[in-house]
Amino acid sequence: MADVMTESETDVAVVGGGPAGLHAALVLARGGLSVTLIDESDTLGGQYYKRRAEQLAVAFGDFRPRGTELIREVRDAGVVCRTGTLVWGAEDGGRTLFTSDVRTGVLGRVRARATVAATGAYERSLPFPGWTLPGVVTPGLALHLATMDRVPVGSRVVLAGTGPFLLPVACALLEAGAGIEALAELNHPYRPRPSAVAGALRQPARLAEAARYLLTLARHGVRVEQGARVLAAYGDTQVTAVDIAGADGTVRRVETDALCVGFGFRPSTELPRLLGCRTQPDRTGTEQLPVVDADGATSVDGLYVAGDCAGIAGVHAAGVRGQLAARAILRRLAPGRTPVRVAGLRRRARALDRFAALADRLYPLPAEAVADIPDATQVCRCEGVTAGEIRQAVATGWNDLHGAKAATRAGMGPCQGRECGHIVAALARRDEAEGFAARMPIRPLPMAATVEGQEVR
Amino acid sequence: MSAGKRVRPLPETVTVTIDGTPGQAWAGQSVTAVLVSAGIWSLRRNPVNGQLRGPFCGMGVCLECEVTIDGRPGSRSCTEHVTDGMDIRTATHG
Repeated sequence: MADVMTESETDVAVVGGGPAGLHAALVLARGGLSVTLIDESDTLGGQYYKRRAEQLAVAFGDFRPRGTELIREVRDAGVVCRTGTLVWGAEDGGRTLFTSDVRTGVLGRVRARATVAATGAYERSLPFPGWTLPGVVTPGLALHLATMDRVPVGSRVVLAGTGPFLLPVACALLEAGAGIEALAELNHPYRPRPSAVAGALRQPARLAEAARYLLTLARHGVRVEQGARVLAAYGDTQVTAVDIAGADGTVRRVETDALCVGFGFRPSTELPRLLGCRTQPDRTGTEQLPVVDADGATSVDGLYVAGDCAGIAGVHAAGVRGQLAARAILRRLAPGRTPVRVAGLRRRARALDRFAALADRLYPLPAEAVADIPDATQVCRCEGVTAGEIRQAVATGWNDLHGAKAATRAGMGPCQGRECGHIVAALARRDEAEGFAARMPIRPLPMAATVEGQEVR
Repeated sequence: MSAGKRVRPLPETVTVTIDGTPGQAWAGQSVTAVLVSAGIWSLRRNPVNGQLRGPFCGMGVCLECEVTIDGRPGSRSCTEHVTDGMDIRTATHG
C-alpha cells in the first residue's frame, strides 16, 4: 500500500458537500455522531449552494443565503469539513475512503463506520457539429460565471437544450448583463397537456418559481422557442454562429459569441458503483442508479446514497434524502439516542420524486436525438472519437459499450466518459442502460500523488 | 431587490499575468472568468487531434479548461480563484 500521509477515523463519512451532504452531516452530528464531510471544492455548498468568493460577496452580496446558513449550522454542529479533498477510491463497502489533497496531491485515508455518497450530478450533453469549439459551453458554466464571478459569458448568447434549468440560467445571464439572442427549448414543456399540469399543481412552489422566471424573460423580450434545437455551431477559433431548427423545421443562422447547451443532468454514481452496489436503470432508462430503500440504503451494508446521485430530483429532494439517510444511520449507530420521526420526510421524498418524474416527462431527451448525431461529429471530446467511428465499431461486432470503448478509445480520456458515456452507450446499445465501469481512481489525481515516493495502488 | 440598491464597495482588484501580459481582475474570481473577460476562450489543444479547446463544463468534470497556474500544469481554471501576482499560461501553440 502507498505511504498514507493523512489518516483519520470518524463515525460517518459524507462524500459531497452539496444540499444532500450538508443536510445529512447536520442531522448526523446533531445526533451525536462524529462526521467527516469531504468535498473536492474549496468551499462547501455543492453546485446549488455554491459560495461566492468572500472578496466578491463583500461587493455583490451573498448568493443563496440559505446555503451560507446551512454551512454555518454544519460547522457549528462540529462536523469535520475536509474541503479541497477528493475521494478517488474506496473499499470495504465505503468504510475506507482514499483521498487526495486537490492541490498538493497528498494522499489520505478516512475510515468510517458508515458512508453517505452525496456526490450530486453533472450536466448531460448531446454532441452536435461544432460542440467542441471554444465558446460552446454548458448552461452551468454560464450560470457560474454570472452568479459567482459576475461575468457575462457573452454579449450575444444562445441558450439551448432542454430542462427547467435553462430558465434560471437565462435570468442570471440577463442580470449579469448578457444579451440573449435565442432560447431554444427542445421540448414543449410550457404548454403541457392537462395531465402534466395536474401533477405540477401539487408542487405550487415549484410552479410559481417557473412562472417567475418566464415572466422575467418576457419582460426582457426573451422568447422561449419550444420545439427548437441547435443543429450546428460554426467558428474558426471560437464559436461565431449557430444554426437553429425551429419547431416547423425552418433553419436559421444566429450570430453568437457564446452558445450554452445542456440536456438536464447525469447522476454522479461512480463511488457507489465502485463499491459494487446493485443498480437498476433510472426512469428514463438511460442511467444506472443505485438500488436503494426508502432511506437511501444501498445493497452494500453501511453505504447510503442521497441527493441527485440517487437519481436527479433537485435541491429540495436532496435535502430530504440527506436527512433520511442520516436518520437511518443514527438508528443503526446511535440507537435510543434519537427520536425516530421519518414518516413525514418519507412522504415528502415520495412527493418530490413524483415531481421529478413529471419533469422527466416534460423534458425528455428523445432517442432520435442520438440517432441524428452526424457521423463526422465527435462524441468523445477527450479522445476525438466520432459518432461514425463508434457506429462502425458497433457494426463490426463491438456491439456493447465496453467493446465500443475498447475498439475506439471513446471514454478513455481524462473526463473518464462523464461527458460521452451516455452517448456511447446509446450508440452501442442493445437493450438496457449501461455505464462505463467505475474504477479507481474515480477522479483524476494530480501527478504529485503518484510521485515523490508515494505509490498509488 | 433592496440588496441591489445598497451601495457596496467594488471588489478589490489584483494583478494577474496571462501568457506574459499583466492585467487586472477582481480578487476571488475564477480563473475561467478572468480569461473569458479578457476574451481568451482558447486555452489548450486536444492532444489527439490538435483542435483548440476552452472551458466547457465549469465544474471540474471535463478538464477542457486546464492551464498552467504558477507553474502547475494541468490546473483547472474553472475551480481555481485568482490571487494577486498569479501567473496563468495557456497552451494553444502548435
